[in-house]
Amino acid sequence: MSASVEGALGKARRGVGVAGPGRAGAPRRGMRRGALTLLLLVLPSILLVLLINGYPLVYALNQSLHKGSLIATGDFVGLDNYANVLTSDAFWAAARFTVVFTVVGVFGSWLLGLGLALLLKTRIPASGTFKVLLLLPWVVPVVVSATAWNYLVATPSSPVPRLAEALGLGTPLFLANPTLAAITVCLFKVWVSFPFMMLMTSSALTSVDGTVYEAAQMDGANRRQQFTGITLPLIARSTYISWILMTIFCVNDFPTIYLLTGGGPVNATTSLVVLAYRTVFQNFQTGPGVAIAFLMTATLVVISVLLYRQIRKSAVE
Amino acid sequence: MSTPTLAATAAGKPRKSRAPREIIPERELKGRWWRFALLFIVTAVVLIPVLVTLVLSLRPGLGSSATGFTLDNFITVFRDTLTPTWLGNSLAVALGTVVVSVGVAAPAGYVLSRGRSKAVSSYSLLLFVVQSLPVITAVVPLFILFAKFGLVDNLNGIAIIYVGASMSVATWMMAAYFDSIPTTLEEAAWIDGTSVFGSFTRIVLRNSLPGVLSTSIFTFLLAWNDYLVAIVFLRSSERFTLPMGLQSFFQQNATDWGSVMAVAVVMMLPPIIVFATLNRYFSVGGIGGSLAGR
Repeated sequence: MSASVEGALGKARRGVGVAGPGRAGAPRRGMRRGALTLLLLVLPSILLVLLINGYPLVYALNQSLHKGSLIATGDFVGLDNYANVLTSDAFWAAARFTVVFTVVGVFGSWLLGLGLALLLKTRIPASGTFKVLLLLPWVVPVVVSATAWNYLVATPSSPVPRLAEALGLGTPLFLANPTLAAITVCLFKVWVSFPFMMLMTSSALTSVDGTVYEAAQMDGANRRQQFTGITLPLIARSTYISWILMTIFCVNDFPTIYLLTGGGPVNATTSLVVLAYRTVFQNFQTGPGVAIAFLMTATLVVISVLLYRQIRKSAVE
Repeated sequence: MSTPTLAATAAGKPRKSRAPREIIPERELKGRWWRFALLFIVTAVVLIPVLVTLVLSLRPGLGSSATGFTLDNFITVFRDTLTPTWLGNSLAVALGTVVVSVGVAAPAGYVLSRGRSKAVSSYSLLLFVVQSLPVITAVVPLFILFAKFGLVDNLNGIAIIYVGASMSVATWMMAAYFDSIPTTLEEAAWIDGTSVFGSFTRIVLRNSLPGVLSTSIFTFLLAWNDYLVAIVFLRSSERFTLPMGLQSFFQQNATDWGSVMAVAVVMMLPPIIVFATLNRYFSVGGIGGSLAGR
């Protein structure tokens, strides 16, 4: 491994072309030294990734094959944990909510972010100020905004339920009714995430050459045709990337859900992460808990690698 | 005679050069105000939770007959609760994470930026996979490991995890910035006999303040906002960081909204200050952009 890294890095060093013709002897030593330096520069990062990400992954895989607790690993049980998890209703209910949460989170925040980015691109007074203010939901810590949302919707005497009552809509129990709680959590996620989408889309839109639109106008394309025919295709790459990142953010999200509902009522908002957390740290069943996390991880890694390939492919085109 | 001519040219010139923009059709102008109104309403609705937090923190506390705005809640919270400790813990952990993370990610990013080889690009792919791993998978094994070294309920312990968690994105962000620095400077230095390490620290790193700042902001926010690692690893309230502190305080004083929101404001101010002062370097898009480039 180390030899191949050094060889590869040596090639990299050569790639930037220090060695001119007729200097073949001296730079070769320098090249080796350079490769070693590059290896040393990247080494701390490799060690950290191995410690914080690699080691736990291997350990977790092992743990998921044992019947253990937080203190002891316990007996080897093979794939029993996976079998138990995959046949439990709680797992599939959590998987279903994770999918709903992710789909609403990704496309909800994307649509809102795209709309606002397009709006901000047009000539509007004080658009700079609006842009800064609209980023606040992303900047404010989730713990803080969850507290604020709790204040706004949690109890029947909170402002939003009272407002709904005044409008004659009854007194909705946003966090006590399973369906409403799921909707509220998804809305909260969209609220937290749309500034990210807005920024990604905004920076993609600024790189679109304005003359393309002029040409399209000359050819008689109307606004909608310009949007679907020019804007969307030109920001497609950035859009895919933002979808992938947001999918990862949503599936791995713990605080947005846990701080608002704790996974309830009656597990209606329990995602896979919340289920894994509860299984390990509240029911102290390490094996099944880690198995849940691991199934989720494996799915995400496969999705990520496939999508990463897709981006690279579109980069070549 | 000469005066009107001057005035005419003075007024005429800019109008001439800006002609297509100055004359806005009435329909277009009307549309502009509609869009402004729409944007204003959306922004106002979006900001309600933030405004509510701020307003409640400034309102007089329970049982007080005072009206208007006051800083009483902040005084109470800082005097009678552990808020100052939590704030100190959060600052120490976040700043420590920034220093170590940038210190490790910058050299690694340099290698990713300048290296053109299989090994380098597979490390880049590894970082991408690592980025998508849920923290929850890592947390259980790390909890067991850290327990052996006394790193549970320990601020160093969570800082180590934050450094690891920020590593892939921080490395990409640094690499993306280094990509924008031309290699010609380094090549010239190498011909003069400078070592690779020397050219990295003296030439590349020196010109990378914006990249370092962007990466620092990202890392700071990650460490400052984290809740999952904190809830697993921190046990005693004197070791809480602000997210844990705010959450426990909220659970114990759920009706005393003034005090709860005062703690919340203490927690949201540093990110907002960082964002307001270093707005230029706040590049969420940079993360995606750097990802796209590799």
